[in-house]
Amino acid sequence: MQKDLEAEFLSDFEQNQNIAHKICRMYTTDKEAHNDLFQEITIQLWNNYSKFRGDAKFSTWMYRVALNTAISLYRKSTRTIKTDDFSDVAFKISSTEYDDTEEKQLEALYKAIHHLNDIDKALIFLYLEDKNFNEIAETLGISNVNARVKMNRAKEKLKSILNP
Amino acid sequence: MDLLDKYKETWSKQVEMPCKFSTLEIYKMAHAKSSSIVKWIFVIGILEFIFMNSLYFFMDMEEAYKQYEELGLESFVLYSQIVAYSILFYFLAQFYLNYIRISSIDSTKQLMNKIIKTRKTVRNYVFFNLGYLGLTMIVVTIASININIDHLNNKQILIVVFIMMIATVIILGLFWLFYQLLYGILLKKLNRNYKELARLEKELNETNL
Repeated sequence: MQKDLEAEFLSDFEQNQNIAHKICRMYTTDKEAHNDLFQEITIQLWNNYSKFRGDAKFSTWMYRVALNTAISLYRKSTRTIKTDDFSDVAFKISSTEYDDTEEKQLEALYKAIHHLNDIDKALIFLYLEDKNFNEIAETLGISNVNARVKMNRAKEKLKSILNP
Repeated sequence: MDLLDKYKETWSKQVEMPCKFSTLEIYKMAHAKSSSIVKWIFVIGILEFIFMNSLYFFMDMEEAYKQYEELGLESFVLYSQIVAYSILFYFLAQFYLNYIRISSIDSTKQLMNKIIKTRKTVRNYVFFNLGYLGLTMIVVTIASININIDHLNNKQILIVVFIMMIATVIILGLFWLFYQLLYGILLKKLNRNYKELARLEKELNETNL
């Protein structure tokens, strides 16, 4: 029983580990912290997996657990922004031909996101992942109106960092 | 097209990454020990319960009881200890229940709320203990003054009361400082995020009023 659950978890998580990597890249600025946060997210997901029971999509459920880990459970503060560029864990773009501009664009985006506070990061992440306001409000535990106002402010902040 | 929409399009194209972990690596990570804030709060909370109760072992209880007898306080000590231990078990149960209710499946705000509540349970227990200590000190002082009332003048009584008050303030102050440091460092990030999440709700409520 435990073995089955474990196998199911590993396959679910392996398919969706990108979500965790994206969150780690937003909330940390060096490789060590990235892996550290990734490990804590993995622990939290596995510890709660028996409660998941497939009543939602695994990815939807994962957004919540992973963001909660980054915002509330992970101890280290990420306020200090290191200047390390993240080239050693840089993301590949799924275009047929390697397109340098997209990679650069992503890098600029992550760099700008690092300047936001933890809550704004979560809002922007859910926006980029194309989540609707009901889902965003429910994930964060705030009202729909609150989520909309906060989202607008977070987007304005991000825009002003990207395009000063 | 909005600037952010362009970035959003690029964002949606990142699917593969070189730092992808293998199944075995994920398996190992899932079974590693958590070092989350919740775990720290639990461990520190248990240590506080142990610490507050082990204080009694450092005192010479027989000697203390003899003194209580001399002051005619045996029944006060007996009953107050029964009350104190019932309250200890109440707090321990609350602390444990709060702890197991914490779940990373909750919404972000609810999760933070529960973590803060768990911490407050222990804080309240420590404050209860300090209150109990303070009460015992007051009762003992009054009883001592009562017994020696014939040999003391007003000035001496005032000095005793004054010293006791200073001692209480110092002890409470030290504990407060300790708490500020311990939980201040541990929960700095969480408190900041909680405030940030709750901030707008407050603003909206105020404009509605």
